[in-house]
Amino acid sequence: MKTAHEIRPGNVIMLDGSPWVVQKTETTRSGRNAAIVKLKLKNLLLDSGTEQTFKGEDKLDDIILERLDCTYSYFADPMYVFMDEEYNQYDVEADNLGDAAAYIVDGMEDQCQVTFYNSKAISVELPVHIVREVIYTEPSARGDTSGKVMKPATITGGGTVTVADFVKVGDKIEIDTRTGEFKKRV
Amino acid sequence: MDLDSTPINANHWDIFCVVVDNYGDIGVTWRLAKQLAAEYAITVNLWVDDLKSFSHILPELDAGQAYQTFFGVNIIHWNDSSIEEYSPGQCLIEAFACEIPSSIIEGLTKLKQTNPIELPIWLNLEYLSAEDWVEGCHGLPSFQTNGLQKYFYLPGFTDKTGGLICEQNLFQLRDNWQSDDANKMALFNQLGLRGIEPNHHVISVFSYETPSLLGLIQSWQAEKSPIHVLIPKGRSLNSLTSILACSVDKLVAGQQFNLDNVTLHILPMTDQQGYDRLLWSCDFNIVRGEDSFLRAQWAAKPFIWHIYPQEDDYHLIKLEAFMQIYCDNLAPDLAKPWCELNRSFNQGNQIDTVNHWQKLEFNHLPLLQHAKTWPMTALNSADLATRLVQFVKSR
Repeated sequence: MKTAHEIRPGNVIMLDGSPWVVQKTETTRSGRNAAIVKLKLKNLLLDSGTEQTFKGEDKLDDIILERLDCTYSYFADPMYVFMDEEYNQYDVEADNLGDAAAYIVDGMEDQCQVTFYNSKAISVELPVHIVREVIYTEPSARGDTSGKVMKPATITGGGTVTVADFVKVGDKIEIDTRTGEFKKRV
Repeated sequence: MDLDSTPINANHWDIFCVVVDNYGDIGVTWRLAKQLAAEYAITVNLWVDDLKSFSHILPELDAGQAYQTFFGVNIIHWNDSSIEEYSPGQCLIEAFACEIPSSIIEGLTKLKQTNPIELPIWLNLEYLSAEDWVEGCHGLPSFQTNGLQKYFYLPGFTDKTGGLICEQNLFQLRDNWQSDDANKMALFNQLGLRGIEPNHHVISVFSYETPSLLGLIQSWQAEKSPIHVLIPKGRSLNSLTSILACSVDKLVAGQQFNLDNVTLHILPMTDQQGYDRLLWSCDFNIVRGEDSFLRAQWAAKPFIWHIYPQEDDYHLIKLEAFMQIYCDNLAPDLAKPWCELNRSFNQGNQIDTVNHWQKLEFNHLPLLQHAKTWPMTALNSADLATRLVQFVKSR
């Protein structure tokens, strides 16, 4: 069991007797600091989708499926191709990557985990922390160094991350892939 | 109410409320329960864990009684013993994500296996927020590991959210009240507030602790016309100890303090109808949390919202989201000082709060006009109870 707050894209959970792959998670804060977690899910048996909302501390039945450490190899629209240590290739549908797709870039060396269901690669989990280069962001407006003033930045691969105002083009930044949050400049 | 002697109405609704602070959560659920009973003829069982706090806003309530009925709502003291009397109705609402007792959940889980058609619609009624994400989460299912289905019901300011609590005749009552100054003067008299003339400025205060409040009152002391500040006993007064003649715990309702041009009145506690009338009668209201925040908007008067403080200043994000929609049709030269005033008040910045107050000007007519048109804009197509009843029917 995991709490809804701990669930990540790529996890597979059992709901109403069916396995669902988590494609996207969105955590927000309600009043009095309680978390609300919205999950975008895909049914692995029926190929249908749903969105569900949970309290952050709600328990969810995550199921342990076969996983393999892999690295990203290339994109063959609409499939992302990953490769294991023995050079076996596994195709994962772009839809099943959810938010993780924003961090997939050519040449990346991050160790990912490909999850299998009935011998089919169904999802990919990225490492919790990854490092990407900022390819565009506005210059710091006020020279703020506190890290409290934030601004949008485009990273390698085209994704957007909200970063501290002091981050510049060319900087490498650490991102939490569970939340999409900027952690620090590397 | 004695559940044993009350005919079982399978169409009844149950609302569960844990009192977290004295008036917020119970204030919202009590208003909703009353409205469902009065306007939709729904039998509502309101389960409350703390009747003593509840009795502050419902003085007729006997905190020692397990079952009572007021305004057509069955009020039940929620404890281990009373919970055994629960029987499933049409709808089960957990207010503000409070934990429904495990015995009820177990009973519903069994019911799903034996007679699923009898299962109530189970809702988590969440806190009000103006943030964008509310539209995307409102009404979504939440499939529980025990096999039961719950839904998230999120109040909000757009037609894709759960709406806002507002009784059908409220605006008519408010307009009638505000059309004759004699009403507010009678109320002030009834509350024992002395020395208020019809042309005096009157400000109600129901905030959390903040140095901003002290700054404002000190700046009002130098105003040209008399200002009356009405404050109930409670957290607001903790910020004013330096200007009070006695300690907060020794204050009694009806006491008043003259501070140059300001008269500070200590208010007696009032029921919800009385609080609405107080907000309608003041020129400006400082409110907090959720229930009084919404009622200040319905009062059609300018206000400061002291939002419930959250970790990492997350409440400031919620404040910004509200200010953005509140100021959508407001001229920038008016929206800016009003937003700055709310920001600085919430950040406890005394100097900025006073500066922005002075920029706003007392009784700024366009701001008052905006406050008058805002309630209809905010309400959109329907109020929360109307949308909630439709939501339950459609499931």
